[in-house]
Amino acid sequence: MFGAQRVFDGSRLLPALLVLVTGCASIPPSVSELPSPAGSVELEDTPFYPQERYQCGPAALATVLAQSGAAVSPENLVDKVYLPGRQGSLQYELLAATRTEGRLPYVIDGRLAAVWRELAAGRPVLVLQNLGVAAIPRWHYAVVVGIDTERGEVVLRSGTDRRRVTRAKTFLRTWQRGDYWGMVVLAPDELPVAADRSRYFEAIVALEQAGQSEEAAIAWATALRNWPGDTVALFGRANALFALRDYRAAEDAYRDLLERDGAAVAARNNLALALAEQGRYDAALQEIGIALSETDDSALEQELTDTEATIQRRKAGGK
Amino acid sequence: MGFEKTRGALTRLISVSIICMGFAQVAPAGMIGTGYLLEDESRAASISRMDILLAREDVGRQLEAFGVDRAMVMERLGALSTAELLELEGRLDSQVAGGDIVGLIGAVFVVLLILELVGVTDIFKSF
Repeated sequence: MFGAQRVFDGSRLLPALLVLVTGCASIPPSVSELPSPAGSVELEDTPFYPQERYQCGPAALATVLAQSGAAVSPENLVDKVYLPGRQGSLQYELLAATRTEGRLPYVIDGRLAAVWRELAAGRPVLVLQNLGVAAIPRWHYAVVVGIDTERGEVVLRSGTDRRRVTRAKTFLRTWQRGDYWGMVVLAPDELPVAADRSRYFEAIVALEQAGQSEEAAIAWATALRNWPGDTVALFGRANALFALRDYRAAEDAYRDLLERDGAAVAARNNLALALAEQGRYDAALQEIGIALSETDDSALEQELTDTEATIQRRKAGGK
Repeated sequence: MGFEKTRGALTRLISVSIICMGFAQVAPAGMIGTGYLLEDESRAASISRMDILLAREDVGRQLEAFGVDRAMVMERLGALSTAELLELEGRLDSQVAGGDIVGLIGAVFVVLLILELVGVTDIFKSF
């Protein structure tokens, strides 16, 4: 018994151990990791919104949004992303504001090579820097528009500088203190370079939840070109069509998915709703019956029962 | 207890990104959002990664040394919410940037960390 007690007293050491191990674990990105032969790249026609009039968050966001073809002024963004009390913007607000413009924010890997790849694809990268030191942080958003691989320099739209040139090493230090956070703005029909499937899909789901159904439909179709037959993407496309009230097309899309994966209970639930929207209540109830017989997940079962009740009600009321 | 605090903070952090998934939606009432399927998928992947980790011989020996049944740990993992599961993995991942976690930090540590996080240690405390 005492032995057991010992073990757990030992576990109190965990926090201390964690810190020690974490301290030497992260591998910092470096200039040398750039893909070779990596030429220099600079997106010279990226617009510039000087920070004199706008804070760095709205200014940087307007820059990347404009480059992706979304016409938006920093003034309009101030209300959405600027917190006067904090004199700054949070990353979540930048992501959310991007979605309200019908664009897809994608957080890139925190590596210089990832920045380079996006630049090469014509997309500037919005980055979070800490220009201060750890103890006295000075958070700053800027936009990387170029990397000069020969001179080892990074070109930014930053603050009041249209073209600030920073040594790559210096940039990496300030970016590291910003946890290597960086995002690109994608049009709904654009894929990030070397897209991470689940991160990209989560980005589309967030767009869907922001009520941008038209853009979400395009994004899922784009995803399906890269991941043909992907269950989540098929489900996403069907849901977007449903949200756009194209119930016939949504029905086909759900059936398409169920043909590949008959056990996709969530898809059957939504198929039933799409049928009900077309007044085909009996067919809808039949699908719910199949779905209920296929699930053993209690949360899902509850959803299905609720859906069944909804359809029953509508069937009774619709006559 | 500092550990608990950290854990709570991490859970909250992760909840922020997960909170809008699941059944939450703006779309038609009753429609299950795409996030549900995505979450379901990442949950299954997470459980299978933990299963592989716990099935390792060195980890297994350590579990045995602590007198903990692997199936029981898996059961505990299965009872965690997806957010908690991902947080646990995040804790493990934060130990090593890629590479073999067990090789780098040792089976004892990995097992202790998992037991602490799934709350098995509390059972022992009550003996």
